[in-house]
Amino acid sequence: MATLAEIREFLPNSDCGQCGLTCAEFAEFLQRHELAPEDCPVLHELDYAGFIEALREVLGEPQTKPAAGMAVDPKKCIGCGICVTLCEYHLGNCADVRLSKGPRDLEQVIFHIVNGLVVVVHQEHCTRLVQAAEKCSKCAQHCPTKAITLY
Amino acid sequence: MRIPLEARIESAVCPGCACLCDDIDVTVVDGRVYQAANICLWGASKVLGHKRFHPKKERRRLAQPLIRHRGRWQTVSVDAAIDRTAEILIKARQPVVYGLTNAGCGAQAAALQVARQAQARLEPADLAWKAPYYQSLKKYGVFWATLEVIRDEADTLVFWGANPLHSCPRHVVRYSIFARGRFTERGYDERRLAAVDIHRTELADLVELFLQVEPGQELSLLQEVLTATAAAGGAVSKKARRLAAMLQEAHYGVIFFGRGVSYGPTPELLDGLAGLTARLNEHTPFVLFPLSTDFNAVGLYHLLLRELGSPLAPDFGAGEVSFHAEPLRWTDVDALLVVGADPFWFLSAAEIQDLHERRVPVVALSPVANRTTGHAEVVLPVALAGVETPELAYRMDGLPLSLPALLPASLPSDQQLLQQLAAALGCSHRGMACV
Repeated sequence: MATLAEIREFLPNSDCGQCGLTCAEFAEFLQRHELAPEDCPVLHELDYAGFIEALREVLGEPQTKPAAGMAVDPKKCIGCGICVTLCEYHLGNCADVRLSKGPRDLEQVIFHIVNGLVVVVHQEHCTRLVQAAEKCSKCAQHCPTKAITLY
Repeated sequence: MRIPLEARIESAVCPGCACLCDDIDVTVVDGRVYQAANICLWGASKVLGHKRFHPKKERRRLAQPLIRHRGRWQTVSVDAAIDRTAEILIKARQPVVYGLTNAGCGAQAAALQVARQAQARLEPADLAWKAPYYQSLKKYGVFWATLEVIRDEADTLVFWGANPLHSCPRHVVRYSIFARGRFTERGYDERRLAAVDIHRTELADLVELFLQVEPGQELSLLQEVLTATAAAGGAVSKKARRLAAMLQEAHYGVIFFGRGVSYGPTPELLDGLAGLTARLNEHTPFVLFPLSTDFNAVGLYHLLLRELGSPLAPDFGAGEVSFHAEPLRWTDVDALLVVGADPFWFLSAAEIQDLHERRVPVVALSPVANRTTGHAEVVLPVALAGVETPELAYRMDGLPLSLPALLPASLPSDQQLLQQLAAALGCSHRGMACV
């Protein structure tokens, strides 16, 4: 899955609001394949020729919904980062998290905290997907606002 | 220092709450924060200018100084607003400089100078529960540790009238419940946790022992815990016995207390908590730790201790400085200068009515429109401390941290305005015209 930073490289980043969203929000929708690059009016301008095609390449084909996964409800999340700290994948693969800090932007981790909300970035690393769905549910179990849903 | 319009700032310090998290990565585009990573919702609301409980809803920033004239707002120059403020403070018999917990150290020092010049009382916004804490420290001695030591060593944590998930959300991850330290490598799995509150909070699902008490029953619970730890005779409830046993089995314990203690008989509660900590300290290290909320609340008490030798509210009105542990009686105030706080948010309707009836002039220095600016006679917009202006702030354990400016500022800082106000007051007292 393309990261938000990769997607934003091909967006105008001017927050013009013509699509009704900021560019950061638009990138999140693109990442989830809920909007297409053509939905950005600015990308149709001559200055951005080729950006739509490049974005399509970065985004790739929409993946089918995995057998198991997770979703974070942005209305409930307070960005406390308990899920980031407790995640078993993070514990083994991210030194910053082991030191009770947040992961850096480009680290290959499952959760990032962006603008006060937790976003799922690399769900494919989750123990539930790699091994078995019943293996781990610490993130959802300890979420104080019950913002994480496992399916 | 010139702030670039586009920048990536790594390991910035967040001015959202007293945790002052120092692992925030901020991307600035076109002179505004585009993305902040590793920041909780509280911090994001400050850095991105959103409402605290409504993310993505922008707070209205104040742009120009305003004076209320015959019930209507008039836009004025900064100098005119400062002159009007000085006039209000000079005319008043019992002026009060209120708040300052959400202001940087520079602004706090300038506000202290203003309070001296205006012969005013300086009232920290959280005096109601911090003054009894400092008094209990004086009585029982200091039990102190930095947050890093607590993270590394504490294996038993008690939250008394405190909910870090509401006051400082990342505290639980960085320093307390879930944090992994040198001797607490398994973090949450090897900590024993308890919480005491009058409401069922989010902590109830995270802690081993959650004691929900009726309002006003905290003191009797505390006395039962004291009795149980003293192994003296007396009726002790099962829950108090369980809490006492947990505390006595600790190898390194911390009692975090928050604003919740201010709803009970605060001096007695804090005296009891400090007494309990002192007793537990005879056998094992134990710390009594106030869970400050506002980002530089601790800085204000450091300033007062350094400058005046007392953490209580100083009053410069009676010729020489006197100190108050009791919170302000709003009926005594006849002019109010509010910096880094929003008292009209929590004042009762009767108190606000009384201030209106007595026509108490309110001057508000604030970066955003809030309830206090809505009731103010003079409004002075300021830059966001720690975001648009560099500031120094003290973390909740007393560690001073430098907050660099992340964005260019279009407004003067609260420190600049307060210094200008102090100068205007000084000139007025000497009967000179300020140049």
